[in-house]
Amino acid sequence: MPHAHLRAGWDSVRGAKIRSFWTMLGIIIGVASVITVVGIGEGIKQEIGGQIHHLGQNLITVRPAQLLNGNSAGSNSPDLIPGFSISTPLGIKDINAISHTNGVTASAPLTIVGGAVRGDHGMYRNGFVVGTTSDLPGLLNQSLQYGSFFSSDSYDMNVAVLGQNASNALFNEDVPLGRSFTFHGQQFVVEGIFNQFTTTPLSQQANFNNAIFIPNQVAESLSKNTAPTYEMLARPAAHEKASAVIARLKTALDQVHGGQSGLSVQSGNQDLTASDQILELLTRLIAGVAAISLLVGGIGIMNVMLVSVTERMHEIGIRKAIGATNRQIMSQFIIESGILSLIGGVLGILLAFFADFMLRTFSSLHPAISWQVVVLASAVSLLIGILFGTVPAIKAAYKDPIEALRSE
Amino acid sequence: MALIELQDVSKLYGFGDATTLALDEVDLTITKGEFVAVMGPSGSGKSTLMNLIGLLDRPSHGDYRLDNKAVARLKTDQAAKIRRDTIGFILQSFNFLPRLTVLENVALPLAYKGVSLSRRTKLASQMLERVGVQNREYFFPSQLSGGQAQCAAIARALVNNPKIIIADEPTGNLDSSGSRLVMELLSDIHKLGNTVLFVTHNPELTRFATRVVYMHDGTIIHDEQTALGQVAPKARKVLYTIPATSEEDDLEGVSVMMKAFPHKEAPPPKRKKATDKSTRRKKRSVSRRKKAS
Repeated sequence: MPHAHLRAGWDSVRGAKIRSFWTMLGIIIGVASVITVVGIGEGIKQEIGGQIHHLGQNLITVRPAQLLNGNSAGSNSPDLIPGFSISTPLGIKDINAISHTNGVTASAPLTIVGGAVRGDHGMYRNGFVVGTTSDLPGLLNQSLQYGSFFSSDSYDMNVAVLGQNASNALFNEDVPLGRSFTFHGQQFVVEGIFNQFTTTPLSQQANFNNAIFIPNQVAESLSKNTAPTYEMLARPAAHEKASAVIARLKTALDQVHGGQSGLSVQSGNQDLTASDQILELLTRLIAGVAAISLLVGGIGIMNVMLVSVTERMHEIGIRKAIGATNRQIMSQFIIESGILSLIGGVLGILLAFFADFMLRTFSSLHPAISWQVVVLASAVSLLIGILFGTVPAIKAAYKDPIEALRSE
Repeated sequence: MALIELQDVSKLYGFGDATTLALDEVDLTITKGEFVAVMGPSGSGKSTLMNLIGLLDRPSHGDYRLDNKAVARLKTDQAAKIRRDTIGFILQSFNFLPRLTVLENVALPLAYKGVSLSRRTKLASQMLERVGVQNREYFFPSQLSGGQAQCAAIARALVNNPKIIIADEPTGNLDSSGSRLVMELLSDIHKLGNTVLFVTHNPELTRFATRVVYMHDGTIIHDEQTALGQVAPKARKVLYTIPATSEEDDLEGVSVMMKAFPHKEAPPPKRKKATDKSTRRKKRSVSRRKKAS
């Protein structure tokens, strides 16, 4: 019996293709937008998660600013004047304190040095020069494509390791090992080139593909100790707990600064919570809007079905005259709107995959469409069809057969 | 054996002042195997009677026993099931679903019964073969001639093997050859033992019936048995008592009707599809009013 209804519903959809398409349009757009938006959000989250994974869960960052984190209500202090909470900058003493803290196996500062870089193509504008130490590749879990990272032996030499973009921008050669560029009037010899760093939209990490890494000592001397260290990276020993090391680091830093450093010491996960939260909020917001469009699509189906019931009064009359029960008429119309919205949902999914393809091709976004979302979207669209198809179906089922037969 | 028993059946439409009495305490008993023609002017309650017998409608008062079962107060879904299993409807304007093929249309009652697709296609095809339009089964209803369409409609009415065939003006939209085709088919069905009821305006068609029921203003005014193959005597009289309007009347048009009803406003023009039918009706109603005055 149900398949007879299915057929009747399908016949009617097939018979009025244009009308069916317009009916489905709302659902198509709704489903496509829900899947795409959730996919974009999911994609970004996965990349951030991937980055954390890549860096290692237990990477500790020390920054000279307290991150206002809305997650814990106690530490949230929105009344502060911006900048007031910013602690003293990281200095040489801090760097030493961190590297000598018990339980820290590796640490590296990231010091920004201002100034112009000149290579084969003249000035290199998009990049930045970072002073650091030999622990950096290990801390970032990043291997070098060519050459090697400078060791502690060459901390006082003018050597450099480049990110891929910096390498391409500075030199004509594919592998510019041994070539040199000018910075602060001094020649720097390229010793190594990093593999491509994975970049993440909305991440707080700088894009290291554009960076030029030089020994921290050289950076400090070039800038006459004025270059700000914006971040310290540290990795706790394998047997140590990250939280214990963080506590120890805090104490050590407080001692350096006479009790109150205000430096933020966080593990990698915490570091990304802020952007994660914003992203979550955005995803929910847009998904909410998309859900509203699904709702509107459902109302569209209901309207078209209502009109269709009025238009097909005669058909209802005939069906009743030859023995269709109210229930059968009702099932037919509910199944019909269910079919409509399910097809709409499937088309919407296809559209979402197309949008996904376009986004991957023409933007830096990498939406991740999970099968759960696809299944959910199909189920929701079917549900909407059945839900919003009920009112017109009831209207159709309880028509007086004689009246319905008489109408043309 | 009484198949259809109506006792004091009345049907009212509307409320209060606007109430119209479509059927007025009708008693009618039809036994199995009868071929009943129902005649009478428009608005005499023929269609209402057919709808009540066919369980498309419920009587306002009175009892209706169909096959010894009280069916006057059935719920709509129960009525639909009885309608599906025991009654075959043939309607004036064929009433096919235009987007389904003839075969699909004929198979539709079986679908509501829950017969499998292959079986109902087979049954519908056999039925179309019986009525002689099997070569049109994959056509759409709009591609059939009137006679063929009505034959297919008869096939649809028969496909469930019903006890009663109800045909409301089955020849109303057909030319004479189509009418004969349809009536001969109905006659064949009757000869196989089915009970057939049909409404007609054409006295000639009482030739096929075994019994003629005349209705007027919601009551049965005359009920007679007739021999097969003969036009019922009373029907013949009805045929000859219809005064043909003269050419002058035709020319005068509406003013004739005005004369017939001098104390009333001119009736609003009726909207009818088939022009030949509307003129025929008009003539008849004019004659009736003349008689009344």
